[in-house]
Amino acid sequence: MASRTPPPQDIETATVASVEPAATAAAASAAPGAVLVEVRDLIKHYGAVHAVDDVTFDVRAGEVHALVGENGAGKSTVAKMLAGAVSSTSGSITVDGSPLAGGSVRDARKAGVTCAFQELALVPDWTVAENLRLPDGAPLKGFSQKKATAAARELLAGLELAHIDPAAPVSTLSLADRQQVEIARAIAAKPKVLILDEASSALAPPGVQWLFRRIRELTATGSSVIYVSHRLGELAEIADRGTVLRDGRVAGSFVRGSWTDDQLISMMAGREATRHFPSAPPLSSTAPHPALDVENLVSSGVDGVTFRVEAGEILGVGGLQGHGQAELLRALFGAAPARADRWSIAGKHIRRLSPVSAVRHGAGYVPEDRKREGLALGLGVGENLVTPWLRTFGLGGRPLLASQGGWIKNVLASLSVRTRGPLEHAGALSGGNQQKLVFGRWTDRDRKLVLLHDPTRGIDVRAKQELYDAIIELSRQGVGVVWFSTEVEELVHVCHRVLVLYRGGIADELQGDRLTADAVVGAAVGAKTR
Amino acid sequence: MTATLPPASQSDGLAEPDDSDRRSAFSRITSRVPRSAWPLIVFALLFLIGGIIRPNLLSVDSLIGTATFAMILAIASFGQTVAVIGAGIDLSVPNTIAFAALSFLTWSGTIGPVPALFAAVGAGAVIGIVNGLVVSKLGLTPIVTTIAMNGLLFGIVLLSFKNSELTVIPDFLTNITATKLDLFGVKIAAVLPLGLALLVVLQLILSFSGFGRSLFVVGSAPETANLAGLPVDRIRITSYALSGALAAFAGIVIVGFYAQASATMGASYLLGSVAAVVVGGASIFGGRGSMVGTLGGALVLGQVATLVSVANLGSNIQQLIYGVIVLIVIALYGRRGSE
Amino acid sequence: MTATVTPPPTIPPVQKRAQGGLRGFWNAQPVVRLRREGAMPPLAAFLVFFVVYVIINPELLTRFQLQTASNLVVPLAFAALAQLLIVLVGGIDISIGAIMSLSNVVFATAMVSLPVPLAILAGLATGLVCGLFNGFLVAFGKLPAIAVTLASAFIIGSISREVMDRPGGGITEQFYLATSGELFPYMPVSLFWLILAAVGLWLLLQRTALGRHIYGVGSNVESVRAAGLNARGAQLAAFALSGVVAALGAIMLAGSTLTGDPRSGDPYLLNSIAAVALAGASFAGGKGSILGTILAACTLGLVGNLLFFAGINSYWQYVIAALIVISVVGIPVISRQISTAVRGIKA
Repeated sequence: MASRTPPPQDIETATVASVEPAATAAAASAAPGAVLVEVRDLIKHYGAVHAVDDVTFDVRAGEVHALVGENGAGKSTVAKMLAGAVSSTSGSITVDGSPLAGGSVRDARKAGVTCAFQELALVPDWTVAENLRLPDGAPLKGFSQKKATAAARELLAGLELAHIDPAAPVSTLSLADRQQVEIARAIAAKPKVLILDEASSALAPPGVQWLFRRIRELTATGSSVIYVSHRLGELAEIADRGTVLRDGRVAGSFVRGSWTDDQLISMMAGREATRHFPSAPPLSSTAPHPALDVENLVSSGVDGVTFRVEAGEILGVGGLQGHGQAELLRALFGAAPARADRWSIAGKHIRRLSPVSAVRHGAGYVPEDRKREGLALGLGVGENLVTPWLRTFGLGGRPLLASQGGWIKNVLASLSVRTRGPLEHAGALSGGNQQKLVFGRWTDRDRKLVLLHDPTRGIDVRAKQELYDAIIELSRQGVGVVWFSTEVEELVHVCHRVLVLYRGGIADELQGDRLTADAVVGAAVGAKTR
Repeated sequence: MTATLPPASQSDGLAEPDDSDRRSAFSRITSRVPRSAWPLIVFALLFLIGGIIRPNLLSVDSLIGTATFAMILAIASFGQTVAVIGAGIDLSVPNTIAFAALSFLTWSGTIGPVPALFAAVGAGAVIGIVNGLVVSKLGLTPIVTTIAMNGLLFGIVLLSFKNSELTVIPDFLTNITATKLDLFGVKIAAVLPLGLALLVVLQLILSFSGFGRSLFVVGSAPETANLAGLPVDRIRITSYALSGALAAFAGIVIVGFYAQASATMGASYLLGSVAAVVVGGASIFGGRGSMVGTLGGALVLGQVATLVSVANLGSNIQQLIYGVIVLIVIALYGRRGSE
Repeated sequence: MTATVTPPPTIPPVQKRAQGGLRGFWNAQPVVRLRREGAMPPLAAFLVFFVVYVIINPELLTRFQLQTASNLVVPLAFAALAQLLIVLVGGIDISIGAIMSLSNVVFATAMVSLPVPLAILAGLATGLVCGLFNGFLVAFGKLPAIAVTLASAFIIGSISREVMDRPGGGITEQFYLATSGELFPYMPVSLFWLILAAVGLWLLLQRTALGRHIYGVGSNVESVRAAGLNARGAQLAAFALSGVVAALGAIMLAGSTLTGDPRSGDPYLLNSIAAVALAGASFAGGKGSILGTILAACTLGLVGNLLFFAGINSYWQYVIAALIVISVVGIPVISRQISTAVRGIKA
């Protein structure tokens, strides 16, 4: 990386953090600054697809090494090869001088490499204790619930996670708690190298700070952390050095304090790109009715919520993970049972709602998990787009695709979905393009209200920009948008107004000058800033 | 993974972009053959092999014989196909067959054969609706629900019918199933055109109707279908109703063709119908399958039965070969987690 | 954006449960585990059924009737346990009846010429091989269990009819006494063997890491694999074990009927699945209890007997068994729906 412009981030935190490992790593086995992990010419081919191509980098003892890149750049594949979950086509990985055979999570664990995976690798029906303790035992050894629970309780307490009950099944925990258990399991093995693959994706700011404390404890003992993340703000705070991947190759590297967001983004995207948020168009409501009007909406996890969405308004929904945002959206679409004192969509009174009647009333929903809830991956792109518009006694299949051909073409073009055409499998598309399909099925369909569940999570920068533009376009057409996002910046920049949820209720409503990132975060933790 | 758009027609290969680059020219050509055509190709090969072993097998009569047997199995498996596409399974097929056959014979004596036919098929649909209601409203798994229904029907059949009285097959039924028609000098049983007509209607519904395509969405991703605003429960219940009605129809056809009925007459269709559907290229996980494929699957199984009986191996070995065929088929394209 | 340091939300520490009495029992860890595994509805169903049975036919509690009843129920209980093992890893075994038939005829044939322990070994080995065959294809061939076992139902069934084409074999009177007689008054031997096997299985599933792996694989294979555990090994182990348990059932069946029969396993396919469903196990895998399965098998196995003693046409047993399965699984769902509806009205 050529440029040496000082970063716009909090320099104080950065310098403090970088001094710490150097000061304490002397106690560790590896000499401070010595190379702990050597990755040489790592290649992974899936058939003719080169997922990872000739990746070479070093990780020094006691450092936090970031691995960044757009989706599909290969960083997750590299992380998985290091962790042993995927075997490499060729190339070598050396940890502390000895080569890592690869292809076995168990061997990697023995070599001192552990990983907290992005897709949570916890067994949902196991208790927290079982998840923490079982990976290290031989299959034919005895297992005692009591001892495992006691050991797990001690472990969790030592990692500031005393609020998690070790006897609870993992499926009953919140997403953020699950992610922390996953990280705790990786740390508990006392790894030489800890890989965090998007490990902060479900964590709120306090959780991220918790993670950073754990990382600093670990690097202080001379261990290294490989930190894979999309969140540039986190990289500025925690990463000592980093490697940027693009299209499976190394596109560049950076060291602490030598980069800006824009430079990193253009390195990731391979072009001059700036982090740009379009702003919402001015509201000029000519519609006779608000897009949505609810009073005292009650559902499981939602405790008496009252608000309105004007036609053409983009209403953001923020808050920490698990404070009712997901439940609110599901209730508003009729996917979870709910009741309200007053409830109308585009002026039409609602007593009880199901997804079927929600669509009939003019609502659309982009759910959280595009692979399971959004798409039928085995069916074609076109069929996925027309799914909500299938009528039992109407046409389907090719005749419907033919009659809807113009609309399908339009949707694909306006969202710039990169596909070979309406017959291509939805499963063959990249994450961002899949997300556009789920979104696209509601566009130009006379919708009054579109509900979005974090549509930009885990997709690449370019696809994000295109989605922002598409949301703005919806607003321009007079569609009311309710947009739950885990990225505070999106809410602050793109939305007209933001509701922050806390424990199932509205903690604050932010608008105009009061709509700042700090205010959103403040309201999210229950510190009401009036 | 091949496409299902539409399952019965050409060019599934178009929808394979992710895989096509890393395939040889040969496999690229084979990938363009729609999945539902494979069983038909295998059947043709088996037919030729039969001709090599025993030249007199290579005759139109032999073909018609196998096709007739296969068509009856196919009719019994059409309902299963619908259930499997919707990510379900209908293990109540055997006793739905028996129940429909016996009640048709009982009722046709009093209300006449045509009303009895409609009544029995309607009863099959009601059985299916109950299955569908339990699966979609109570959330019981399809396997358990339909097994329980199968047991329940067995009890009802044993309690309500006395087999000895049911030997008179109405002429109407014989006419639409067992009677030999003369088609260009070839004698074929009436069940053959009947089954083909049913196949065409059902395949058109599956491929080109809103219900058919919704069923594929529900089968491959139920939560997606729900959150896209499709009436998932109604689609599921309809699919089970269709499955039940088709099984009932199959029962009547079987009684007409073989001219006998008993409480256990459906037993061999429990595994047989699932085997035909699986060999026909349907995914046991739902979202993939076709009527043409199921007929192909039934033809393959039928030709194997013919070959086995020609080679004098006995029905035991025939069952063994069925098992091996099902294994080969799922090994070829039944793999999990290949996405 | 995340640089803003905010105080973590205060979460009250989890209170230790320290109640006594019924409440304490209900919340004790082993009971919580049983509840989580779905054992409560089958337990309740069994108790109700048992009381009704004893009221209608107090004779059940005589030595002779206890013995016949347990001989009737024990093979089904073994079949249900074998099915449970497969269901726990997220599969289903369509070939379970065929495996029982084959083990049954192999055992009965071996009894003609071999000493008893060797014949038992032959029967168990048959089950093991069948289980390994299925398990290998499912775990390492990555094929769906339902399709694999459908195929092997055909294959194994036809092999068992090749081994023995009509009922026969050399089961001796002594063997009948050893499997189906009485250990001591009011204690049928078959029940003893069942309890022994169940305790062994329970220890394996609850008290070894392998057992927890089997539960984990059914819950989420990918997670187990990502944790560095041998998921395929656990799957294979479950299938192998299931084959052995099914073979045990087949041997008990041979003992109580004094014959080997190539179709003896057929009724157990549907009944074992019904029993596992009644036991509250999840067919998605990862959830199911041994106690619940045994009680469910007892309930289903004795419906026919109960009707006989009540003087009702015993064909009703098929109808009643189906209704028991549907209602025991369905009632909790309906009551949950009603309770949410009631809560909705109150709110």
